[in-house]
Amino acid sequence: MKKILVVDDEKNILKLYETELQEAGYSVVTANSGKEALDAFDAQSPDLVTLDILMPDIDGIQILRMLKEKKPQVPVIMLTAYDYRDDFSVWGSDAYVVKSSDLTTLKETIKTILETR
Amino acid sequence: MESTGHDQNINAPGPGQPLLANIPVLLPDKGIGLSISRLSAFVKALLSAQNSDELFSTICSEAVEAFRAEGSALYIVKNSLLEKQCSSGAIDSFISWDISNSAGRALAENRPVAFSLPRDSDAAGLPHSAASVPIYLNSSASGALTLFDKYSEDSFPAAFSDEDLFMLNEYGKAASAAIERFFKASSSEPASERAEILKGYLDSFLENTADAIVTTDLDGYVTAWNKGAETVYGYEQSEIIGQRMPFVPEFLMDSEKTFMERVSAGETLKEIETIRKRKDGSMIDVSLTLSPIRNSAGHVIGISGIARDITQKKKTEKNLLRRNSELSRILFISAAMRGTLELNKLLRMVLTAVTMGDGLGFNRAMLFLRDEKTNTLRGAMGVGPASHEEAWEIWARLSLEHKSLTSILEEMDKSPLRKDSFVDMLCRGIEIPLDSDTILTRTVKTKKAFNVVDVQKETLSDIELIQQLGTTAYASVPLISRDRVIGVLWVDNLFTHRSITEQDIEFLRIFSNQMASAIENAQLFESINSTEQQLSNIFESISDLLFFTGTDYTINKVNKAVVEKIGLPEQEIVGKKCYQIFHGMEEPLMSCPHIKTLDNRKAYIEEVEDFHLKGTYMVSCSPLFDNSGALLGTVHISRDITEQKKLREKVASAERMAALGEIAAKVAHEIRNPLLSVGGFARRLEKKLDNDLKEYAKIIVDEVSRLEEILTDTLGFVRTGRLDLKETDLGAFLDKIITLLESGAMTRDNRLVKEMPENIVIRIDQNRLKEALINIINNAIQATKSGTITIKAHHENRPSGAQEVVIEVQDCGCGIKEETLNRIFDPFFTTKSSGTGLGLSITKKIIEAHNGRIEVKSEVDKGTTFRIYLPVQEA
Repeated sequence: MKKILVVDDEKNILKLYETELQEAGYSVVTANSGKEALDAFDAQSPDLVTLDILMPDIDGIQILRMLKEKKPQVPVIMLTAYDYRDDFSVWGSDAYVVKSSDLTTLKETIKTILETR
Repeated sequence: MESTGHDQNINAPGPGQPLLANIPVLLPDKGIGLSISRLSAFVKALLSAQNSDELFSTICSEAVEAFRAEGSALYIVKNSLLEKQCSSGAIDSFISWDISNSAGRALAENRPVAFSLPRDSDAAGLPHSAASVPIYLNSSASGALTLFDKYSEDSFPAAFSDEDLFMLNEYGKAASAAIERFFKASSSEPASERAEILKGYLDSFLENTADAIVTTDLDGYVTAWNKGAETVYGYEQSEIIGQRMPFVPEFLMDSEKTFMERVSAGETLKEIETIRKRKDGSMIDVSLTLSPIRNSAGHVIGISGIARDITQKKKTEKNLLRRNSELSRILFISAAMRGTLELNKLLRMVLTAVTMGDGLGFNRAMLFLRDEKTNTLRGAMGVGPASHEEAWEIWARLSLEHKSLTSILEEMDKSPLRKDSFVDMLCRGIEIPLDSDTILTRTVKTKKAFNVVDVQKETLSDIELIQQLGTTAYASVPLISRDRVIGVLWVDNLFTHRSITEQDIEFLRIFSNQMASAIENAQLFESINSTEQQLSNIFESISDLLFFTGTDYTINKVNKAVVEKIGLPEQEIVGKKCYQIFHGMEEPLMSCPHIKTLDNRKAYIEEVEDFHLKGTYMVSCSPLFDNSGALLGTVHISRDITEQKKLREKVASAERMAALGEIAAKVAHEIRNPLLSVGGFARRLEKKLDNDLKEYAKIIVDEVSRLEEILTDTLGFVRTGRLDLKETDLGAFLDKIITLLESGAMTRDNRLVKEMPENIVIRIDQNRLKEALINIINNAIQATKSGTITIKAHHENRPSGAQEVVIEVQDCGCGIKEETLNRIFDPFFTTKSSGTGLGLSITKKIIEAHNGRIEVKSEVDKGTTFRIYLPVQEA
């Protein structure tokens, strides 16, 4: 079972993602801040990370960079509330998904990435 | 003693001076010969008087007749008072005035006096003119003779002239002698002695006069010869008496004989102007009066000739005539000059006048005008023959044609002295710096005329003129207008070698003064003309609509821009009402500033939306007044600011959007995250629940989706960022979009069709362009029911040669109304009940981010076509 680290500063969202992704057949680890995310990444060795771009303590882009420095092979999907449509790949992200209550796109993206690895 | 009239006797000598000191020896006018014969007749008449009354009466009546006077009066002093002895044609009021004025004064001052009184003196019982001379008895002034009211030959009241006064004085002396002798005779002397004395007086007069008085017999042999004759003709009395008129020139002898025959027949020939030969052989002009001499029986026995040397007078007269004719020419030319304001024509006229024989008669003339900018004298125009041959030819022709200056000036264009002649061209090439020291520049600086008699001897001669014109002697006069030298007139006589006299210069000066002001006027006129031309050019070339409108809304003048905008010829615009032409209305447009300007006489600037001319205009309207301050109408300047207005609105909208963007970014998380939780868990509930509860959860899910969609649109509109350009197969790209939208199209029974005649590969940001196309195609689907929506793509070449890809979305739906068509790309504009109104404005932003453009055409109930133009980047 693939392990996914979900990083968001909103606990409700973490709860939703956790439930939905577990139902989709993944093992889910959550982190509520940038620091927690970095600790969990080291401790849990997730197969994939979903990362909110705006984190209160550490900027999402900074976290992305740190994660890629640690383990570049672990895919990171950037989640944005605001559709920047910017190419996050320059920072090393593998995809980005606009946050929506409809998680279909997110689930498909995760599935595609994990399958291609 | 006070004079009631104007004392005319300006030349009156002071007391003690000789009586006739101020009477000119050479009398100013004709009539001396005549006067002498009259005086002689007067003396004879006096001699025949039998008593004192008859004598006085003769004196009065003869004098009246001799001087063409209305009346006369004679006074003798008795008991220290003037007592009238006799009068003729004079009323009592004349006499009393005379005693205290004219006669009294002549007596008191011992000299002839004359008066000329105001016109209304008749009414006051006074003469209009009077002349008095003293009467001498025993060598002292003891009376006076006065003449009243002189009349000219044509019967108008006249004043007594100096000559009259001179002659009247002679009459007075003759009368004095007669009266004195009469008084003496009445005591002792016999009548014959009286006659002798009077005759003696006459003889002495004849001897002493400057005129030549000669008598001959009927055959012309000289019988008497006075001193005057000796002086005039140069012959002594002794050598001439008995000679047959050696003073008559041979060639005049025949006409002289004719004169003598007429006089022999009793006629008196007065003031014949003829020529006499002096003893030394020189000829003199004389004025001659020939009268018959009769014996006591009345038969003509001889001829008396009184001649005056008028050579000097003739000379003066000739000069006067010449001066007169030259002055009249100048007058004529200056009248002609005043009549023309065309500078070139004027200059030619001036130079023609200077060079024509009938004008001032110089061989060549040139005008140099002062150029203030370059500080030089520039040759403006020259007139004159180029060579001796040409000069002869011209003069010969002119003398044959007998052309007057008038006709030459009239036909100047055809004149041989036309412009573009050789001399003219030479002249135009000459330019003399004013800071050099030459005759021409001195003429300017000193405002004086110069006459260079010999260019070799004059060190300041203008080298250019000598070298280019071959001049050997010339004159230059300044052209002075309003105390400023505006140029120089140059003349010479190269071909006739006639030397330029001081008189010539004097005429040039007079002439040049006239010329200068005319030239300056013409120059002013020319500059006004060119300014006017410039103004007119500016008026025409202004791209704004420019027109004058009268107070009654009538259009008076329009520029080219108006003609082009309205699309009617000028004559169909001018004269019409401005509201008809510009607004297509039958009454004034209330928002037009013209009305306000008419009311308040102030300028107004307003933005006017004109539906007739389709656009927004910035209209400035200024009042136009005439010289008296009356309002004539308004000057309109209208600028089409439709484009500027659009641009302005765009800028405003962009600013609005930028502000919105900041807010949007801030609120994005705050709204989206809670929505995500709400929506996400509602979906979970929807899955777990049944029946009513499942339906309620579904409502929450849908509403959240709608909110999220609005959020996406809103934030999408304001987002910024770089394009993610990728080489894209346009065909496959369009297919994906069609697949995406096909189900939506089906719900409205629409078909999506792709038409692509060629393969197109283009660099685009797929996500963004997809969003743009989805917006357009979704709109087409919404507008169409049971129809086909065609998506086409092809290459096209721009006029510049650059290639672009055109993507066209064509529907056959309800179309877009004209008034909404130009607003559909505006943000937040929508005709739908739902939606954000951002779709098409986002689309446009995306296309513009690709350096492309989007156009739309639509017809209501027929359909709409969007065309997207994207540049093809060079590989």
